[in-house]
Amino acid sequence: MSITLDFDIQQLDNKRPMQLHYLPAKIVGDGECTDVDKHFNNYTRDTPEFGKGILSNALRGYPLLGKRESVPKGYKGLVLQETDENQADRQLRLTGTFQDFTYWNYDKVPSKGDGYQQALVMLEVAEALAAPISEDALENEMKLQQQAKKENA
Amino acid sequence: MSKKATRSTKPKPDPDAVPQKPTVSAAKKVFYIADNLLQAEDGEQRMRLERFYHPGKGQLAWFITHQDRHIMEVLEYAEPRRSWLLNNEVCSNGRTYMTTPFDATLLALHHLRKHCSQRAMSLDSIGVDESDTSVNRLLTKFTNATSLKCVSDVKVSGDLTFYKYNAERTLAWLALKTRGIVAVLKAKQVHCGLGAKSENYVRSEKLVTETDVNEMDYMRMACDYVGRYLDADLHEELTRYLHIPSEIQALVEEKSTAQKRKSQQGQQGANSKKIKLANGEDAASKLRNSSLLDSDDAKESVTSPPTPAPLKERTMTAKEKALAKGAKGSKSIASFFKAK
Repeated sequence: MSITLDFDIQQLDNKRPMQLHYLPAKIVGDGECTDVDKHFNNYTRDTPEFGKGILSNALRGYPLLGKRESVPKGYKGLVLQETDENQADRQLRLTGTFQDFTYWNYDKVPSKGDGYQQALVMLEVAEALAAPISEDALENEMKLQQQAKKENA
Repeated sequence: MSKKATRSTKPKPDPDAVPQKPTVSAAKKVFYIADNLLQAEDGEQRMRLERFYHPGKGQLAWFITHQDRHIMEVLEYAEPRRSWLLNNEVCSNGRTYMTTPFDATLLALHHLRKHCSQRAMSLDSIGVDESDTSVNRLLTKFTNATSLKCVSDVKVSGDLTFYKYNAERTLAWLALKTRGIVAVLKAKQVHCGLGAKSENYVRSEKLVTETDVNEMDYMRMACDYVGRYLDADLHEELTRYLHIPSEIQALVEEKSTAQKRKSQQGQQGANSKKIKLANGEDAASKLRNSSLLDSDDAKESVTSPPTPAPLKERTMTAKEKALAKGAKGSKSIASFFKAK
Protein backbone atom coordinates (compact mmCIF):
# COMPACT_ATOMS: atom_id res chain seq x y z
CA MET A 1 0.00 0.00 0.00
CA SER A 2 1.28 3.40 -0.78
CA ILE A 3 0.13 6.96 -0.99
CA THR A 4 1.40 9.22 -3.72
CA LEU A 5 2.22 12.80 -2.88
CA ASP A 6 0.75 14.13 -6.03
CA PHE A 7 2.43 17.42 -6.74
CA ASP A 8 5.31 18.74 -8.73
CA ILE A 9 8.25 19.54 -6.49
CA GLN A 10 9.37 22.31 -8.80
CA GLN A 11 6.08 24.12 -8.34
CA LEU A 12 6.53 24.44 -4.58
CA ASP A 13 8.17 27.83 -4.58
CA ASN A 14 5.46 29.43 -6.66
CA LYS A 15 2.89 28.97 -3.94
CA ARG A 16 2.02 31.86 -1.67
CA PRO A 17 3.04 30.96 1.90
CA MET A 18 0.18 30.04 4.19
CA GLN A 19 -0.46 31.54 7.56
CA LEU A 20 -0.51 28.99 10.34
CA HIS A 21 -1.38 29.01 14.01
CA TYR A 22 -0.63 26.03 16.23
CA LEU A 23 -3.39 26.23 18.82
CA PRO A 24 -3.34 24.58 22.25
CA ALA A 25 -6.88 23.31 21.98
CA LYS A 26 -8.75 20.36 20.67
CA ILE A 27 -11.25 21.57 18.13
CA VAL A 28 -13.96 19.22 17.00
CA GLY A 29 -14.58 20.01 13.41
CA ASP A 30 -12.71 20.99 10.29
CA GLY A 31 -13.10 23.52 7.57
CA GLU A 32 -13.69 27.21 7.01
CA CYS A 33 -14.12 29.25 10.12
CA THR A 34 -14.26 32.92 10.77
CA ASP A 35 -12.10 35.66 9.32
CA VAL A 36 -8.94 34.87 11.26
CA ASP A 37 -7.29 38.19 10.44
CA LYS A 38 -10.18 40.19 11.76
CA HIS A 39 -11.05 38.14 14.82
CA PHE A 40 -7.74 36.69 15.90
CA ASN A 41 -4.65 38.24 14.35
CA ASN A 42 -6.06 41.66 15.05
CA TYR A 43 -5.70 41.00 18.78
CA THR A 44 -2.19 39.61 18.79
CA ARG A 45 -0.01 41.78 21.00
CA ASP A 46 3.68 41.90 21.80
CA THR A 47 4.25 41.15 25.45
CA PRO A 48 7.92 41.85 26.14
CA GLU A 49 7.37 41.40 29.89
CA PHE A 50 7.29 37.63 29.29
CA GLY A 51 10.41 37.63 27.16
CA LYS A 52 11.67 38.57 23.76
CA GLY A 53 9.29 37.88 20.91
CA ILE A 54 6.51 36.57 23.12
CA LEU A 55 3.04 37.33 21.81
CA SER A 56 -0.27 37.23 23.58
CA ASN A 57 -3.80 36.72 22.43
CA ALA A 58 -6.91 34.97 23.60
CA LEU A 59 -9.04 32.16 22.28
CA ARG A 60 -12.61 32.20 23.57
CA GLY A 61 -11.46 34.20 26.54
CA TYR A 62 -8.61 31.88 27.40
CA PRO A 63 -5.28 33.65 27.46
CA LEU A 64 -2.66 32.47 25.01
CA LEU A 65 1.05 33.12 24.93
CA GLY A 66 2.78 32.54 21.67
CA LYS A 67 5.92 32.85 19.67
CA ARG A 68 6.86 32.89 16.02
CA GLU A 69 8.52 29.63 15.13
CA SER A 70 10.19 28.65 11.90
CA VAL A 71 10.13 25.27 10.34
CA PRO A 72 13.38 23.51 11.41
CA LYS A 73 16.41 24.20 9.29
CA GLY A 74 16.65 21.90 6.32
CA TYR A 75 12.91 21.35 6.19
CA LYS A 76 10.00 22.83 4.35
CA GLY A 77 6.51 23.06 5.76
CA LEU A 78 3.80 21.62 3.55
CA VAL A 79 0.09 21.34 4.01
CA LEU A 80 -1.28 18.32 2.22
CA GLN A 81 -4.81 17.18 1.73
CA GLU A 82 -6.15 13.80 0.86
CA THR A 83 -8.86 13.91 -1.75
CA ASP A 84 -10.51 10.58 -1.24
CA GLU A 85 -9.08 8.04 1.11
CA ASN A 86 -11.36 5.25 -0.01
CA GLN A 87 -9.70 5.07 -3.39
CA ALA A 88 -7.36 2.18 -3.97
CA ASP A 89 -4.73 4.55 -5.26
CA ARG A 90 -4.46 7.06 -2.47
CA GLN A 91 -3.19 10.53 -3.15
CA LEU A 92 -2.20 13.57 -1.16
CA ARG A 93 -2.53 16.92 -2.89
CA LEU A 94 -0.63 20.04 -2.03
CA THR A 95 -2.64 22.80 -0.38
CA GLY A 96 0.16 25.19 0.41
CA THR A 97 3.58 25.71 1.93
CA PHE A 98 4.90 27.65 4.89
CA GLN A 99 8.24 28.56 6.40
CA ASP A 100 7.02 29.83 9.76
CA PHE A 101 3.99 29.75 11.98
CA THR A 102 2.82 30.98 15.36
CA TYR A 103 3.14 28.53 18.20
CA TRP A 104 0.59 29.17 20.95
CA ASN A 105 0.58 27.90 24.50
CA TYR A 106 -2.28 28.16 26.90
CA ASP A 107 -1.23 30.27 29.87
CA LYS A 108 2.41 29.21 29.65
CA VAL A 109 5.36 31.01 28.09
CA PRO A 110 6.66 28.95 25.14
CA SER A 111 9.96 27.45 26.20
CA LYS A 112 12.33 24.60 25.61
CA GLY A 113 10.28 22.52 28.00
CA ASP A 114 7.40 22.32 25.54
CA GLY A 115 6.78 18.99 23.95
CA TYR A 116 7.09 20.47 20.51
CA GLN A 117 10.58 21.79 21.17
CA GLN A 118 11.64 18.46 22.59
CA ALA A 119 10.29 16.69 19.56
CA LEU A 120 12.59 18.77 17.40
CA VAL A 121 15.58 17.28 19.22
CA MET A 122 14.46 13.98 17.79
CA LEU A 123 15.21 15.27 14.31
CA GLU A 124 18.85 15.57 15.23
CA VAL A 125 18.88 12.29 17.08
CA ALA A 126 17.46 10.64 13.99
CA GLU A 127 20.19 12.26 11.95
CA ALA A 128 22.82 10.80 14.26
CA LEU A 129 21.22 7.39 13.96
CA ALA A 130 21.20 7.56 10.20
CA ALA A 131 24.77 8.83 9.94
CA PRO A 132 26.91 6.29 8.08
CA ILE A 133 29.58 4.45 10.05
CA SER A 134 32.96 4.17 8.39
CA GLU A 135 34.65 0.84 7.93
CA ASP A 136 37.66 2.03 9.95
CA ALA A 137 35.56 3.01 12.93
CA LEU A 138 33.85 -0.34 12.82
CA GLU A 139 37.12 -2.28 12.70
CA ASN A 140 38.41 -0.22 15.57
CA GLU A 141 35.32 -0.86 17.67
CA MET A 142 35.57 -4.59 17.07
CA LYS A 143 39.22 -4.61 18.06
CA LEU A 144 38.43 -2.78 21.28
CA GLN A 145 35.63 -5.21 22.00
CA GLN A 146 37.90 -8.19 21.52
CA GLN A 147 40.51 -6.66 23.78
CA ALA A 148 37.90 -6.07 26.45
CA LYS A 149 36.83 -9.68 26.13
CA LYS A 150 40.40 -10.91 26.53
CA GLU A 151 40.88 -8.76 29.59
CA ASN A 152 37.76 -10.16 31.15
CA ALA A 153 38.68 -13.70 30.30
CA MET B 1 14.23 15.38 28.19
CA SER B 2 12.16 13.66 30.75
CA LYS B 3 11.00 10.12 30.22
CA LYS B 4 7.46 11.29 30.18
CA ALA B 5 8.07 13.70 27.38
CA THR B 6 9.69 11.06 25.23
CA ARG B 7 6.72 8.86 25.68
CA SER B 8 4.24 11.53 24.76
CA THR B 9 6.27 12.58 21.77
CA LYS B 10 6.76 9.04 20.65
CA PRO B 11 5.73 8.82 17.04
CA LYS B 12 2.62 6.86 16.31
CA PRO B 13 2.94 4.23 13.62
CA ASP B 14 0.16 5.18 11.33
CA PRO B 15 -0.60 8.73 10.24
CA ASP B 16 -4.02 7.57 9.19
CA ALA B 17 -4.91 5.89 12.43
CA VAL B 18 -6.69 9.10 13.43
CA PRO B 19 -10.31 8.24 13.81
CA GLN B 20 -11.80 10.26 11.02
CA LYS B 21 -15.45 10.88 10.53
CA PRO B 22 -16.65 10.49 6.98
CA THR B 23 -17.39 14.19 6.83
CA VAL B 24 -13.74 15.11 7.37
CA SER B 25 -12.27 12.92 4.67
CA ALA B 26 -10.70 16.07 3.32
CA ALA B 27 -8.70 16.62 6.52
CA LYS B 28 -5.46 18.37 5.94
CA LYS B 29 -2.11 17.30 7.26
CA VAL B 30 0.87 19.41 8.20
CA PHE B 31 4.18 17.98 7.03
CA TYR B 32 7.79 18.99 7.52
CA ILE B 33 9.56 17.60 4.52
CA ALA B 34 13.33 17.55 4.35
CA ASP B 35 14.89 19.72 1.67
CA ASN B 36 16.91 16.87 0.24
CA LEU B 37 13.72 15.06 -0.69
CA LEU B 38 12.52 18.19 -2.41
CA GLN B 39 15.55 18.53 -4.65
CA ALA B 40 14.12 17.08 -7.75
CA GLU B 41 16.24 16.25 -10.70
CA ASP B 42 13.17 15.20 -12.48
CA GLY B 43 9.81 16.80 -11.80
CA GLU B 44 7.87 13.83 -13.05
CA GLN B 45 8.77 11.65 -10.10
CA ARG B 46 6.38 11.84 -7.19
CA MET B 47 7.19 11.25 -3.57
CA ARG B 48 5.37 8.33 -2.07
CA LEU B 49 4.36 7.27 1.39
CA GLU B 50 4.98 3.56 1.74
CA ARG B 51 4.71 1.03 4.48
CA PHE B 52 7.57 -1.23 5.49
CA TYR B 53 7.90 -3.70 8.31
CA HIS B 54 9.25 -1.92 11.39
CA PRO B 55 10.94 -4.46 13.69
CA GLY B 56 10.70 -2.27 16.79
CA LYS B 57 6.98 -1.89 16.39
CA GLY B 58 6.43 -5.36 15.03
CA GLN B 59 4.19 -4.03 12.31
CA LEU B 60 4.20 -1.92 9.20
CA ALA B 61 5.10 1.72 9.55
CA TRP B 62 5.08 4.67 7.18
CA PHE B 63 8.15 5.80 5.34
CA ILE B 64 8.50 8.35 2.60
CA THR B 65 10.35 7.41 -0.55
CA HIS B 66 11.46 9.30 -3.56
CA GLN B 67 12.70 8.18 -6.94
CA ASP B 68 13.01 4.62 -5.68
CA ARG B 69 16.26 5.60 -4.05
CA HIS B 70 15.75 7.89 -1.11
CA ILE B 71 13.97 6.78 1.99
CA MET B 72 13.09 8.73 5.12
CA GLU B 73 11.08 7.84 8.13
CA VAL B 74 7.82 9.63 8.82
CA LEU B 75 7.69 10.60 12.46
CA GLU B 76 4.50 11.93 13.87
CA TYR B 77 4.38 14.52 16.60
CA ALA B 78 1.08 14.48 18.44
CA GLU B 79 0.00 16.35 21.53
CA PRO B 80 -3.31 15.60 23.19
CA ARG B 81 -4.88 19.01 22.67
CA ARG B 82 -3.59 20.67 19.55
CA SER B 83 -5.15 21.95 16.37
CA TRP B 84 -3.92 23.91 13.43
CA LEU B 85 -5.37 27.06 12.05
CA LEU B 86 -4.49 27.17 8.34
CA ASN B 87 -5.29 30.55 6.87
CA ASN B 88 -9.00 30.77 7.63
CA GLU B 89 -9.51 27.09 8.15
CA VAL B 90 -9.55 24.93 11.24
CA CYS B 91 -7.66 21.65 11.04
CA SER B 92 -8.61 19.38 13.92
CA ASN B 93 -5.68 17.09 13.19
CA GLY B 94 -3.09 18.84 15.35
CA ARG B 95 -0.33 16.48 14.38
CA THR B 96 2.87 17.34 12.63
CA TYR B 97 4.43 14.75 10.37
CA MET B 98 8.17 15.08 10.02
CA THR B 99 10.42 13.21 7.63
CA THR B 100 13.63 12.22 9.34
CA PRO B 101 16.81 10.78 7.85
CA PHE B 102 16.80 7.05 8.02
CA ASP B 103 19.18 4.20 7.41
CA ALA B 104 17.27 1.40 5.72
CA THR B 105 19.89 -1.03 7.01
CA LEU B 106 18.05 -0.94 10.33
CA LEU B 107 14.98 -2.33 8.62
CA ALA B 108 17.03 -4.74 6.56
CA LEU B 109 18.60 -6.15 9.72
CA HIS B 110 15.39 -7.87 10.65
CA HIS B 111 15.24 -9.67 7.32
CA LEU B 112 18.95 -10.49 7.33
CA ARG B 113 18.64 -12.02 10.77
CA LYS B 114 15.63 -13.97 9.69
CA HIS B 115 16.94 -15.31 6.41
CA CYS B 116 20.70 -14.92 6.30
CA SER B 117 21.97 -16.00 9.69
CA GLN B 118 22.82 -19.50 8.47
CA ARG B 119 23.60 -18.97 4.83
CA ALA B 120 24.50 -16.12 2.55
CA MET B 121 21.79 -14.90 0.24
CA SER B 122 21.52 -12.27 -2.41
CA LEU B 123 19.15 -9.46 -1.56
CA ASP B 124 16.82 -9.98 -4.46
CA SER B 125 16.17 -13.56 -3.41
CA ILE B 126 14.95 -12.60 0.05
CA GLY B 127 11.24 -12.22 0.47
CA VAL B 128 10.37 -13.06 -3.12
CA ASP B 129 8.06 -15.84 -2.12
CA GLU B 130 6.20 -13.65 0.36
CA SER B 131 2.94 -12.07 -0.66
CA ASP B 132 4.15 -8.77 0.73
CA THR B 133 6.39 -7.23 -1.92
CA SER B 134 7.57 -4.46 0.39
CA VAL B 135 10.37 -6.62 1.81
CA ASN B 136 11.87 -7.21 -1.57
CA ARG B 137 11.39 -3.61 -2.57
CA LEU B 138 13.06 -2.40 0.61
CA LEU B 139 16.09 -4.63 0.26
CA THR B 140 16.71 -4.09 -3.41
CA LYS B 141 16.01 -0.39 -3.69
CA PHE B 142 16.69 1.41 -0.45
CA THR B 143 19.53 -0.34 1.31
CA ASN B 144 23.06 0.67 0.50
CA ALA B 145 25.96 -1.68 0.14
CA THR B 146 28.44 0.12 2.40
CA SER B 147 26.02 0.08 5.29
CA LEU B 148 25.04 -3.52 4.72
CA LYS B 149 28.69 -4.44 4.85
CA CYS B 150 28.71 -3.21 8.45
CA VAL B 151 26.21 -5.83 9.54
CA SER B 152 27.07 -8.76 7.35
CA ASP B 153 29.75 -10.75 5.58
CA VAL B 154 29.71 -10.01 1.91
CA LYS B 155 30.58 -12.52 -0.74
CA VAL B 156 30.79 -11.51 -4.33
CA SER B 157 30.50 -14.04 -7.07
CA GLY B 158 30.34 -12.68 -10.55
CA ASP B 159 27.53 -10.17 -10.75
CA LEU B 160 25.87 -11.47 -7.64
CA THR B 161 26.49 -10.27 -4.12
CA PHE B 162 25.59 -12.47 -1.20
CA TYR B 163 25.09 -11.32 2.34
CA LYS B 164 25.37 -13.30 5.55
CA TYR B 165 24.36 -11.80 8.85
CA ASN B 166 27.30 -11.13 11.17
CA ALA B 167 26.29 -10.58 14.79
CA GLU B 168 29.65 -9.24 15.91
CA ARG B 169 29.83 -6.56 13.25
CA THR B 170 26.19 -5.66 13.80
CA LEU B 171 26.66 -5.07 17.50
CA ALA B 172 29.78 -2.99 16.92
CA TRP B 173 27.90 -1.00 14.30
CA LEU B 174 24.94 -0.42 16.59
CA ALA B 175 27.24 0.52 19.45
CA LEU B 176 28.86 3.19 17.28
CA LYS B 177 25.43 4.50 16.35
CA THR B 178 24.48 4.61 20.00
CA ARG B 179 27.59 6.61 20.84
CA GLY B 180 26.72 9.02 18.06
CA ILE B 181 23.35 9.59 19.65
CA VAL B 182 24.91 10.06 23.08
CA ALA B 183 26.96 12.88 21.60
CA VAL B 184 23.83 14.57 20.26
CA LEU B 185 21.91 14.15 23.50
CA LYS B 186 24.82 15.68 25.37
CA ALA B 187 25.21 18.55 22.96
CA LYS B 188 21.51 19.25 23.26
CA GLN B 189 21.71 18.94 27.05
CA VAL B 190 18.80 16.59 27.09
CA HIS B 191 17.96 15.42 30.56
CA CYS B 192 18.31 11.63 30.54
CA GLY B 193 18.26 10.86 34.23
CA LEU B 194 15.45 9.19 36.07
CA GLY B 195 12.31 11.10 36.84
CA ALA B 196 11.06 14.40 35.58
CA LYS B 197 12.78 17.63 36.43
CA SER B 198 11.80 21.20 36.06
CA GLU B 199 13.50 22.79 33.13
CA ASN B 200 14.74 25.52 35.42
CA TYR B 201 16.93 23.12 37.32
CA VAL B 202 18.04 20.72 34.65
CA ARG B 203 20.67 22.94 33.17
CA SER B 204 22.56 23.71 36.35
CA GLU B 205 22.26 20.09 37.35
CA LYS B 206 24.04 19.16 34.13
CA LEU B 207 26.97 21.41 34.86
CA VAL B 208 27.48 20.02 38.32
CA THR B 209 27.18 16.31 37.75
CA GLU B 210 29.10 15.08 34.76
CA THR B 211 29.67 11.77 36.45
CA ASP B 212 29.72 8.21 35.25
CA VAL B 213 26.18 7.64 36.42
CA ASN B 214 25.09 10.42 34.15
CA GLU B 215 27.07 8.91 31.31
CA MET B 216 25.19 5.68 31.81
CA ASP B 217 21.86 7.50 31.72
CA TYR B 218 22.77 8.99 28.36
CA MET B 219 23.90 5.61 27.17
CA ARG B 220 20.67 3.99 28.26
CA MET B 221 18.54 6.64 26.59
CA ALA B 222 20.52 6.37 23.35
CA CYS B 223 20.44 2.59 23.45
CA ASP B 224 16.69 2.64 24.01
CA TYR B 225 16.36 4.96 21.06
CA VAL B 226 18.34 2.64 18.79
CA GLY B 227 16.44 -0.27 20.26
CA ARG B 228 13.19 1.18 19.02
CA TYR B 229 14.23 0.10 15.57
CA LEU B 230 15.41 -3.37 16.51
CA ASP B 231 13.93 -6.73 17.26
CA ALA B 232 13.51 -7.13 21.00
CA ASP B 233 16.21 -9.80 21.31
CA LEU B 234 18.72 -7.75 19.35
CA HIS B 235 17.98 -4.77 21.58
CA GLU B 236 18.76 -6.93 24.59
CA GLU B 237 22.01 -8.07 23.02
CA LEU B 238 22.98 -4.47 22.40
CA THR B 239 22.16 -3.54 25.99
CA ARG B 240 24.42 -6.33 27.20
CA TYR B 241 27.14 -5.39 24.72
CA LEU B 242 27.17 -1.83 26.01
CA HIS B 243 27.06 -3.06 29.63
CA ILE B 244 24.01 -1.02 30.44
CA PRO B 245 22.38 -2.10 33.67
CA SER B 246 18.61 -2.12 33.60
CA GLU B 247 16.88 0.89 35.04
CA ILE B 248 15.66 -0.97 38.10
CA GLN B 249 19.08 -2.44 38.70
CA ALA B 250 20.58 1.03 38.41
CA LEU B 251 18.07 2.37 40.90
CA VAL B 252 18.87 -0.38 43.37
CA GLU B 253 22.59 0.19 42.97
CA GLU B 254 22.19 3.88 43.44
CA LYS B 255 20.26 3.27 46.62
CA SER B 256 22.77 0.80 47.94
CA THR B 257 25.66 3.19 47.35
CA ALA B 258 23.70 5.91 49.09
CA GLN B 259 23.15 3.61 52.02
CA LYS B 260 26.71 2.45 51.98
CA ARG B 261 27.82 5.78 53.28
CA LYS B 262 25.87 5.22 56.45
CA SER B 263 26.82 1.59 56.76
CA GLN B 264 30.44 2.33 55.99
CA GLN B 265 30.58 4.33 59.17
CA GLY B 266 29.18 1.32 60.93
CA GLN B 267 31.72 -0.87 59.22
CA GLN B 268 34.52 1.32 60.37
CA GLY B 269 33.23 0.89 63.87
CA ALA B 270 33.09 -2.84 63.31
CA ASN B 271 36.58 -2.77 61.91
CA SER B 272 37.90 -1.07 64.96
CA LYS B 273 36.17 -3.71 67.04
CA LYS B 274 37.73 -6.40 64.89
CA ILE B 275 41.09 -4.91 65.48
CA LYS B 276 40.45 -5.09 69.16
CA LEU B 277 39.28 -8.64 68.72
CA ALA B 278 42.39 -9.47 66.80
CA ASN B 279 44.39 -7.98 69.57
CA GLY B 280 42.45 -10.05 71.99
CA GLU B 281 43.14 -13.12 69.93
CA ASP B 282 46.70 -12.17 69.80
CA ALA B 283 46.67 -11.87 73.50
CA ALA B 284 44.99 -15.22 73.79
CA SER B 285 47.44 -16.91 71.50
CA LYS B 286 50.27 -15.31 73.34
CA LEU B 287 48.82 -16.66 76.48
CA ARG B 288 48.51 -20.06 74.91
CA ASN B 289 51.96 -19.95 73.53
CA SER B 290 53.32 -19.01 76.82
CA SER B 291 51.44 -22.04 78.16
CA LEU B 292 50.22 -20.05 81.07
CA LEU B 293 46.74 -21.36 80.36
CA ASP B 294 45.44 -24.89 80.08
CA SER B 295 45.20 -25.96 76.46
CA ASP B 296 41.45 -26.65 76.80
CA ASP B 297 40.79 -23.23 78.08
CA ALA B 298 42.79 -21.76 75.31
CA LYS B 299 40.80 -23.64 72.72
CA GLU B 300 37.60 -22.47 74.23
CA SER B 301 38.66 -18.92 74.20
CA VAL B 302 39.57 -19.16 70.54
CA THR B 303 36.56 -21.06 69.29
CA SER B 304 33.89 -19.34 71.29
CA PRO B 305 32.62 -16.51 69.21
CA PRO B 306 33.16 -13.14 70.68
CA THR B 307 29.92 -11.92 72.18
CA PRO B 308 28.61 -9.36 69.76
CA ALA B 309 28.46 -5.93 71.22
CA PRO B 310 24.81 -4.93 71.53
CA LEU B 311 23.87 -2.96 68.46
CA LYS B 312 23.52 0.65 69.22
CA GLU B 313 19.99 1.77 68.49
CA ARG B 314 19.98 3.60 65.22
CA THR B 315 19.35 7.27 65.65
CA MET B 316 16.35 8.37 63.67
CA THR B 317 16.70 11.01 61.05
CA ALA B 318 14.50 14.07 61.21
CA LYS B 319 12.38 12.70 58.38
CA GLU B 320 11.83 9.39 60.10
CA LYS B 321 10.97 11.17 63.31
CA ALA B 322 8.38 13.24 61.51
CA LEU B 323 6.97 10.10 59.95
CA ALA B 324 6.81 8.31 63.27
CA LYS B 325 5.09 11.30 64.81
CA GLY B 326 2.55 11.37 62.03
CA ALA B 327 1.93 7.66 62.36
CA LYS B 328 1.22 7.90 66.08
CA GLY B 329 -2.22 6.61 66.92
CA SER B 330 -2.76 5.04 63.52
CA LYS B 331 -3.21 1.31 63.12
CA SER B 332 -0.38 -0.84 62.00
CA ILE B 333 -0.64 -1.71 58.35
CA ALA B 334 -0.61 -5.41 59.19
CA SER B 335 -3.88 -5.03 61.04
CA PHE B 336 -5.66 -4.41 57.77
CA PHE B 337 -4.70 -7.79 56.45
CA LYS B 338 -5.66 -9.86 59.47
CA ALA B 339 -8.47 -12.34 59.09
CA LYS B 340 -11.53 -11.05 60.87
